[in-house]
Amino acid sequence: MAELEKLVKKNVKDAEARNEIYGLIDEIVHHRVVGCILERLPEHHHKEFLDHVHSRAHDEGILDYVRERVVEDVEEFIKREVYLVGTELLAMFAPKNEELQRPDLH
Amino acid sequence: MDPAQIKASLDPEEIRQKLKLKHLQVKTEFHERHKEASKYLKEKGLDLGTIREHSAKLLTAGALAGTMVLSSPTGSLALLPPPHEILEKSRSTSLPAVSRATRLREALKEILPEKVRPLTREEEKYLEQIFIELTGIPARATLEGEHLNTTYGRIGAEQHLRRYPGDINPNHAPESDEYGGDDPDEILKEGMAPGLGAWGYFAPSKEKLTPHLVETEKWYAVVQTLYLPDWNTRVKYLRDWYKYRKVFIVNTENGRAVVAAIADSGPAAWTGKHYGGSPEVMDYLGGPRYKKGPVVLFFVDDPENKIPLGPVEYNEV
Repeated sequence: MAELEKLVKKNVKDAEARNEIYGLIDEIVHHRVVGCILERLPEHHHKEFLDHVHSRAHDEGILDYVRERVVEDVEEFIKREVYLVGTELLAMFAPKNEELQRPDLH
Repeated sequence: MDPAQIKASLDPEEIRQKLKLKHLQVKTEFHERHKEASKYLKEKGLDLGTIREHSAKLLTAGALAGTMVLSSPTGSLALLPPPHEILEKSRSTSLPAVSRATRLREALKEILPEKVRPLTREEEKYLEQIFIELTGIPARATLEGEHLNTTYGRIGAEQHLRRYPGDINPNHAPESDEYGGDDPDEILKEGMAPGLGAWGYFAPSKEKLTPHLVETEKWYAVVQTLYLPDWNTRVKYLRDWYKYRKVFIVNTENGRAVVAAIADSGPAAWTGKHYGGSPEVMDYLGGPRYKKGPVVLFFVDDPENKIPLGPVEYNEV
């Protein structure tokens, strides 16, 4: 995520445009994090969880709520998911294989 | 992903377009994989994107990935003695007499929760009283009705900002009698930010750069105005209100404090940070290797503009 931040800061020099990009990344991450929680949370808890997220987003109780209903280590799988998203996003900006090849020098 | 594999330079529009596509893809996948949840959100007129906007983002990557969950304010403060008793305790129980810095550190330890999170109004009031008594700075969590999403969060290192067109990093080297003048490389090593701060250049030209603006850049802070719930509806007012607004930043681990001026917007929530500090701010708060750490950040109530920017040497007050 730190590399992603560097990439945005380096290439997007306009503050407004940068904020728009931060917002897009926020939403991507947010969907993926909520998604990975829903995948592990028994379905009959989904509505309650979403209500909780919506009405009390500040509340650490959300994590306790998930911890009580999910066997896996919640913080660990969220960290993994975030790392994965970060890697996917960075990969989008890597040069394609053909661009990595150096032109022949004659 | 090896950072070296990232293209040397990218078109901002290309970044935006690629992210918009990814955003669409992630949303579509979410709706496909969690049909019932999506249906429920739709029925309630909720959108995960807007849920994000409503909150200080418990579920953002940074907050969770950095194991720095924005936990909920609790009622534990009710168990604490009033601020003057906390201060009195630190004054009387330590022999020989302890410094103000030690007393501040002890008070912070007693008041602040273990993990960074938005503080309760009551906790903020406690801190306001302690700050004024120990440091002499009239710090306010809420000033003129404005309040940041969190006043207790993590600060990260920022680079120098371009003050005028053509400004370069070596121009930020401190003079020998200025802060950091004993080792200017320490201050310069962070380099220059590639873009401008949220309020653009500090001055239209080098000639118009006043000593006050030099100080403003030197002691600048970054706060997440972009995530303020009313930013979009009150942008005109808020942009002016936050521009160079003085803030009091206290490193909660060592008690060091600075007064800084807000000069940029950020950092992104997914970085796990809530504020940013100029190279000088970070150097003073935590030393040359300090990159990130917990701080309390309040506004400074200084209508007559009498409080200077820079280190708060309250041990000498």
